[in-house]
Amino acid sequence: MTVIKPPDQLLLERDLAAAEFRCGEMECRWRLISTEWPNVVISVSAAIIPNSPPEYAFRFDCSGYREVAPTAQPWNAETNSALAHKDWPTGKSIVPSVFRPQWKDGRCLYLPCDRMSIQGHDDWRNVHPGRLWDPARGIVCYLEQIHELINSNDYTGVIGA
Amino acid sequence: MPKLTLFVQTQGESNVVEVAVNENLTESELHKALSGAGITIGPDRFIFIDEAEEHISSEGKRPAEVKQGTRVHVARCRRIKTTVNYLERTIERDFAAGTRVRSVKKWAIKEFELDKKDAAEHVLQLCKSTERPSTDTPLHALVQGSNCVLCFDLVPEIRVEG
Repeated sequence: MTVIKPPDQLLLERDLAAAEFRCGEMECRWRLISTEWPNVVISVSAAIIPNSPPEYAFRFDCSGYREVAPTAQPWNAETNSALAHKDWPTGKSIVPSVFRPQWKDGRCLYLPCDRMSIQGHDDWRNVHPGRLWDPARGIVCYLEQIHELINSNDYTGVIGA
Repeated sequence: MPKLTLFVQTQGESNVVEVAVNENLTESELHKALSGAGITIGPDRFIFIDEAEEHISSEGKRPAEVKQGTRVHVARCRRIKTTVNYLERTIERDFAAGTRVRSVKKWAIKEFELDKKDAAEHVLQLCKSTERPSTDTPLHALVQGSNCVLCFDLVPEIRVEG
């Protein structure tokens, strides 16, 4: 029996095979771990900090992709469950403003490109235009922002280090 | 023969093109491989390997310094005159077309003598815009119009709040 995939799933699969995503993989900025529609788990490499992991995994819920932004949750790829709050990345100022384990019980990142977080934050469209979801760029738009944050000088490693 | 995957970005085009080439190829062979992959390389275009200072020659017999996943740039601009403004100061320098925003910021931080804390809290924003390109972005991808010039403001990063 032929299973017809929904358009959002097809679009995500296309983007995960596209040169922009593969370029990031080959430059070791991120790597695809698993896909179980509508979720995809992708690991993003971080700056090397003692007692902190070299990468963090995120589970993206991509329902409605690309018109609808995904939402990303820090993820434990080994246990396939939510990442313990003590294992989230943190930093001096900017990074902890995004990685807030208390925000919505840690189910998403506090970023304008996140589907859950943008709700109720209409002012972000003016304050953070560069951090909004860009359907034309797809999931790379979100991954780049995470990668920038956990490779910036603001990043200080894992919360519980 | 083993193949390498290269990622080719052409100035003025938003997409990245994946091209497979043989290992240990020369500059002229890389030129031919790109043309063979359908990438338009006119006499007014320069090919840069990642952030290299100099473009490669279409007749070059030297080995092309590429490895698996290397970015290759096909640019109209050989050099990009780049200005960075910070407070009341302005600095200027020509960069190769494939130079990434990260390298420009590193240079600006050094020139403006920002300490580590200030460096972490500032980002490059395109002048007269709100666009803050990813630090992996090559400069040629940001050039608008026919002039090979770019202008950045070094501005404070904003915490996500509200």
